[in-house]
Parts: sequence; structure tokens; C-alpha cells
Amino acid sequence: MRLTDIALQNLRRRKMRSALLVLSVVIGVASIIFLYTTTQAMKEDVANKLDQFGSNILILPDTGEAMTFGGITVEAPTQVKELDMSLIPLMKTIKNKETLATIAPKLLVDTKIKGQTILLLGVDFEQELHLKKWWKLNGLAKNQIPSANEVILGSEVAQSLGLSPKQTITIKEKDFTVAGIIQPTGSTENDQAIFIDLAVLQKLTNRPNAISLIETAALCYTCPIEEVTQQLSAKLPGTKVTALKSTLESRDDTVNRFNLFARIVSLILFLASSLVITMTMKSSVEERTREIGILRAIGFRKRHIIQIILTEAGLLGSLGGLLGFLLGMGAAVQYGSILVRAQVPIPWQSNLLAYAILASLLISLIASLNPAWKAARLDPTESLRYM
Amino acid sequence: MSLIKVHEVTKTYKGGDGVVEALKNINLDIAEGEFLALMGPSGSGKSTLLSVLGGLNPPTSGKLMIDDIDVYALAPEQLADFRHEYVGFVFQQYQLIPYLTALENVMLPLAITSRPGKVQRDMAQTVLDKVGLGAKSLRLPNQLSGGEQNRVAIARAIVNEPAIIFADEPTGSLDSKTAVELLELFQSLNQGGLTIIMVTHNQENLEWVSRAVYIRDGVLES
Repeated sequence: MRLTDIALQNLRRRKMRSALLVLSVVIGVASIIFLYTTTQAMKEDVANKLDQFGSNILILPDTGEAMTFGGITVEAPTQVKELDMSLIPLMKTIKNKETLATIAPKLLVDTKIKGQTILLLGVDFEQELHLKKWWKLNGLAKNQIPSANEVILGSEVAQSLGLSPKQTITIKEKDFTVAGIIQPTGSTENDQAIFIDLAVLQKLTNRPNAISLIETAALCYTCPIEEVTQQLSAKLPGTKVTALKSTLESRDDTVNRFNLFARIVSLILFLASSLVITMTMKSSVEERTREIGILRAIGFRKRHIIQIILTEAGLLGSLGGLLGFLLGMGAAVQYGSILVRAQVPIPWQSNLLAYAILASLLISLIASLNPAWKAARLDPTESLRYM
Repeated sequence: MSLIKVHEVTKTYKGGDGVVEALKNINLDIAEGEFLALMGPSGSGKSTLLSVLGGLNPPTSGKLMIDDIDVYALAPEQLADFRHEYVGFVFQQYQLIPYLTALENVMLPLAITSRPGKVQRDMAQTVLDKVGLGAKSLRLPNQLSGGEQNRVAIARAIVNEPAIIFADEPTGSLDSKTAVELLELFQSLNQGGLTIIMVTHNQENLEWVSRAVYIRDGVLES
């Protein structure tokens, strides 16, 4: 017989108390695992959505002068050094090319229609609509891509020209059908522009392959955006690649809030579990005062008593950690994504098992240290009382 | 030659009515191989004296020497080792661990030795055979009668081959037939060389012991 056998036999015999202690660890660990994994999924989901929600990298000609977009200033496009379409295949050769979810090249040209100077934006409609998911378009069905002889109007342009969907507009002596009108967005480059097929505009302006800038959305949940920016700069000579800090910071801020929330809730659960374990072990020790007195009377040292109690706590804690992991992980995989309405599936993460067991083992040991020490210090005569 | 020497031992407690003197200037020599009865009325201090003799309860003043060891001069953990090596207890209510079988209860003192599990098991089984409970070694305490539990307690007390057995009212809760069987067992152990000190208030038990001392109001009467 070893001290471990005494601990094991006690656990077997006091099934209800052991089960209660395991249950408290299981609830704590399962909640933390569930919360951790679902929050990770929520973070990823939010990050993905934010990444898709507009561009976060802008590629402009390296003119040495400031050029704004979103309050764009393109007074004399011909004087500005232009980019060309050959850059797009180059962009797809960077190391983190898989992060470039959308590449939306644009040609910016001003024109006069009915006496008004209006900005023409030559775009790849498919890429542009993918990038501008928040646009609400009148006249254009969901997922419908305008054809080469169709245009999309900003709300202010449509209003000032008195146009509505299906009507015809003449641009540089060529007729186009209004495929859709963007509902007011509050941004100049959307509301005061006409969106036209890029290739058509290049042909109309006799500037084949010319583009003014490229907007890119990099899905950077797992990659640092600065790295992608540097890789693009290296590959694209004569360009100025800029990460849109405000987009990134707002995205990071949102994701960080999720992290903070998850940490606070995990900490509360951790403390609650520790408290339950401490109380259970304390009451277990009090219940066994006489038994500890017997062991001390027959010559058990203090460390033997501590060893027995900590072995019990460690075994129950580890078992609780294992069961808590299975329950928490299982619930997260099955119901986590549905519960938090995240589009990211939660994978089974076996690597968390070691953390779950180690953490619950440590909590159990730490929470039991004080009751174990008190038990070891019990006076055998007092414990047995009758003497 | 004396195995146990008690010199001017006094034990006081702080009670509700002030300081209580449970033992007053006790002097006692017990020879190796004696079967001594500590007698006295309830509350006389006999159980307190037994706990002092057993290394469980330090006296307020005085000295206890066992085998020339100043018992209460030992550090707490050395005192635990001393109890393990020299002393076996048979408590009043048997005090068996309820979740361990008779065999495991007997093996308890061996659990903190380096003896291999099989050796421990064999030793415990041998002792249980000796007290007549070999066939019931796998039963839990609540599956045994009072007399049988007492025998398990005795087996646990002697398994480690201590020099002295301290027994507190071992026949107190037994019927007369079982009490006689237990005293016969003690006598046979004593004849094997074991020193036994037994607290009892039953005069009938005196025919089994080699000497009796009386204690009244904490004072040893000659």
C-alpha cells in the first residue's frame, strides 16, 4: 500500500463528494474552453467581415505628391503618373498572395455631362462590388454584375442628371444603360461618381491598360498587414503602397474588445472554480479530521497527510480537466458557431487538452494547499478528541 | 530495567472554569514486557496519561523517557517517526478508516515504509490470521462486528512490530465473551514480549494484567 492507494480508495468510497468536486472543475474548464473557442471563432468571423468590408491597402503612383482618395483629387489626371494593368499579375506573386482577397483597379477620369463636371470611375465591376459590400443599389439585383454597356451612378449624380435605373446616359458620345443607383453613402467618391467598366473607359479615353490606383482588401486575420504592404512595395516599382491605418485600427480595436471580454469572463470562471474547489477540499478535510488524527497517531508525517490530500485533489482536478475539455470542446464544435452566429466553423483543438488538464491540475493543487496544510497541522489528540 | 520512565509529569488544560490540572506530578516506571492496567473512575485523567505516554500529548511539565529517548524533546516530525516505530494504539472506538478494508487498515502503518506492496500485504495478512480474522480481511469495517473491528485495530497496532501497545478501554463496548477473547489475545501478545498499557475501569480485567496502577483526580495512587 502506498499513499496514492489511500487517496484512491478515499475517492472511490466518497463518490458523491468526489463527483461534486470533479463537476465543479468540469463546469469551470468546459465554460472556459467553450468561451475561448467560440470567442476565437467570433474574432475570426469579425476580422473576416471587417477585412471584406472595404479596402485596407491602397496602391497609388509614386508621384512624390500627396494624392487623396475618399475626397479624391484628380484635377488633371494626365499630369499624374499613371499605373498600368501589368501590375495586377505582379501583385499575385507576393509571398502572402493568398491574403489578397480583392484587387480592384480603377481609372479616374473627369468628363462633362449636361454641362456638369463629373468623375468617371473605370472599375472591374465584379471586384468593385465585392469590395463595396455595404453599397445598397437600386435597380441592380443581388449578385448581378453590370455588363460592359451598363453603368452605376452615385446618388448625387443620378439626382443632378435626373436619371433612374434602366434609363440611358451618354458618356463620351457612347450610350450606356443605368444598371443601378447607389443609395447615399455619405462619401464623395461614391455619391458623386459614375462607375463604368474599366476596359470600356480605357478605350473611350484612348488609354489602354491605364489605371489610376488599385484598392486591395487583404484578409489579414493571420498575417501582419505591414508585411503584405512591404511585399507589394517590393514587387510593384514606381508605386506607393499604403495601408489604411484607420481601417486596421478599428478592426484591431473590435477584435481586441472580444479578447478582453473573453479574458474577463474566463478569469471570473477561473476564480469561481478555484473557490468551489477550495470550499469542497476544506469541507472534505474537516469531514476527515478524525481519520487524519488516526494517521498522525500511527506515525504519518505532515508531508504524508499533505501528499494524500494533494494526490486526491490532483486526480480529481485532472479528471475534471479531461471531462471539461471534452464537454467544452464538443459543445463548441457542435453548437458554438450556431450560438454566436459566426460563419467560421470551430475545429476540434486537441492541443487545448494539455492546457485544460494542466490548468485544472494546478488550480486543484493550489486551491487544496491551504486545506492540506491545515490538515497536516491537526493535533492528533484534538482530532481523536476522546483522549 | 524500565522501558518507560515518567518523571514529575503534569498536564494542565485551559477550561471554561479556568485552568484544569488533569495530571499532577505523575511518576511511574514501566518495565519491558509488562501488561499494565491504568485504572480509575471516569474523568480521573487515565486517558490523558495514556495519550502522554503514547507521544500524542505533550505534558505541561515533566519528562517522559521511553527506551532512553526523551520523547517530548523530539522535533514534531521525529515524534511522528517515534510513534511509528515504538508505539501501537488501540483506540476506544477502534478508529478504523471506513473506506479501507480490514487488510488495508492493517497495512496503514506499513504504507509509509519502503516495504514492497506484496511484503506489506503478507505482513498484514499474517497479523490478521494471528488475531483470527484472516478470512475476513477483505471486508470493510461496517461489515464487521464490534469485536472483529477491535481485533482489526489490534492487528493494525502490532503489524509494525512496535515495542509498546497503548489500549484505551478496549473492552468498553464489547460483550463479556468477546471481551475475554480480546484479553486472551492481549495476554498472548504480552507473553510474546510486547509491553501493553491498557486503560480500563473494569475490575474483572485485572486478572489478565501483570500490574495495575490507579489514578484519581490526576494523582497516581500507589
